[in-house]
Amino acid sequence: MIEAGFFVVLLVGGYIFGRLAEKRHMKSIIKREAINNALPAIASRHPPTDQPYHQHLVGGSVVIGSDYFKSFMSGLINIFGGRVTPFETLLDRARREAMLRMKEEARRYNAAYVFNVKYETTRVATGKVAAMEVFAYGTAMIPGNRQLSSVISSA
Amino acid sequence: MHYENRQPPEGINVTKEHPLRQFVRLAIAATVLMVLVVGVLQFSGGWLAKRIPFSFEQRVMRGMEVDFSGEVDAPELTAYLNDLAQRLIKELPMEDGMDVIVHYNPDDTFNAFATVGGNLQFYRGLLVQMPNENALAMVMAHEISHVMHRDPVAGLGGGVASMLAMMMLTGNAGTGMAGDVLTRTGVLTSIQFTRRMEMAADNEALPAVYGLYGHVEGAGTLFELVAQEHGGSGDLAPVWLERFASTHPLDSDRVEAITARAAAQGWPVSGEMTPLPEEFFDWLEESAN
Repeated sequence: MIEAGFFVVLLVGGYIFGRLAEKRHMKSIIKREAINNALPAIASRHPPTDQPYHQHLVGGSVVIGSDYFKSFMSGLINIFGGRVTPFETLLDRARREAMLRMKEEARRYNAAYVFNVKYETTRVATGKVAAMEVFAYGTAMIPGNRQLSSVISSA
Repeated sequence: MHYENRQPPEGINVTKEHPLRQFVRLAIAATVLMVLVVGVLQFSGGWLAKRIPFSFEQRVMRGMEVDFSGEVDAPELTAYLNDLAQRLIKELPMEDGMDVIVHYNPDDTFNAFATVGGNLQFYRGLLVQMPNENALAMVMAHEISHVMHRDPVAGLGGGVASMLAMMMLTGNAGTGMAGDVLTRTGVLTSIQFTRRMEMAADNEALPAVYGLYGHVEGAGTLFELVAQEHGGSGDLAPVWLERFASTHPLDSDRVEAITARAAAQGWPVSGEMTPLPEEFFDWLEESAN
């Protein structure tokens, strides 16, 4: 009986706080994306050759955890199959946040572009806890003839 | 070359279905599935297991050489218990070829149970609380009725089948907490079957007690003792929930059922109590040392 009560509290709590956190995070992502869109992140491996660029590795990493409600839902979905929708939103946020962190680093170097952008994901928790790392990385293209070290140190 | 990132439209990676709606849909589907699977398997597994000849059960149990006695030799006590069982069998509509063997275990557990092959196990913890033979006869008749109804083997058959199904449904990687909750749903479903078995055994046992003693006084003693032993439920659960979530019928329900049955049949609810043999508690004492 008490156990059932705990379960319901965790489930409802997971849902309410998970939803609130997700909404807040999405709002922040959308706002920051509008700002960072000025810096293109390109998947191409062939950088522009119109002028000299310094190149510097930039990356943004996010470890995102599931809440009780999402984990419970994913368990139910695993029985019937289909889209694990609770994790779709979770990973969407993780990817976009990782990309933003990468761009924010590139912007600090006054990069014009980030090229050869890739994502890596890995599971960082085992057992019943679901947590994923999403890592976005690429080559920041920093225009100019100045020494790279002075560009980086002034950033 | 010109490079730019355009902002993709919002929500293309996200389902339109509200999570709560999806939750309700899946939870209902999973519960129905679990109840159906366990219900069907309990029923069919039990039905199939009952087709196994009783003699086969006995043979298997003999072959397994299970030690029921807990390594204690209490010949007089065991003989008395078996004698009581035989007297009760005469009052019960037991099929030919069926029989029971009563085993005594000196453990302090407050329990008695029937298992496959007509083997009954009585613990010292229960026997020591018996005020008279009438109370003991009710317990004994109840356990013999389980054997008659083939409940141990049906429980085993249905139980194994539904356990396997539950493991397959929820045991695979990924169901996690949802799997735990669903397993409980399955257990709750199977409990509904065992509780029915208990009620049926009570119903069968009461006429035997009446047949042996000419009245049914003392038949409810066991359940009063059980209630004491548990010290009341102490739980905050309402009665209907407690009833639904118990493997056995509630003690109060059982006493009530006995009284109602006796009244309906015109069986006297009071009469002379038959004492236990004088040496009964000495036997228990000796076996404990």
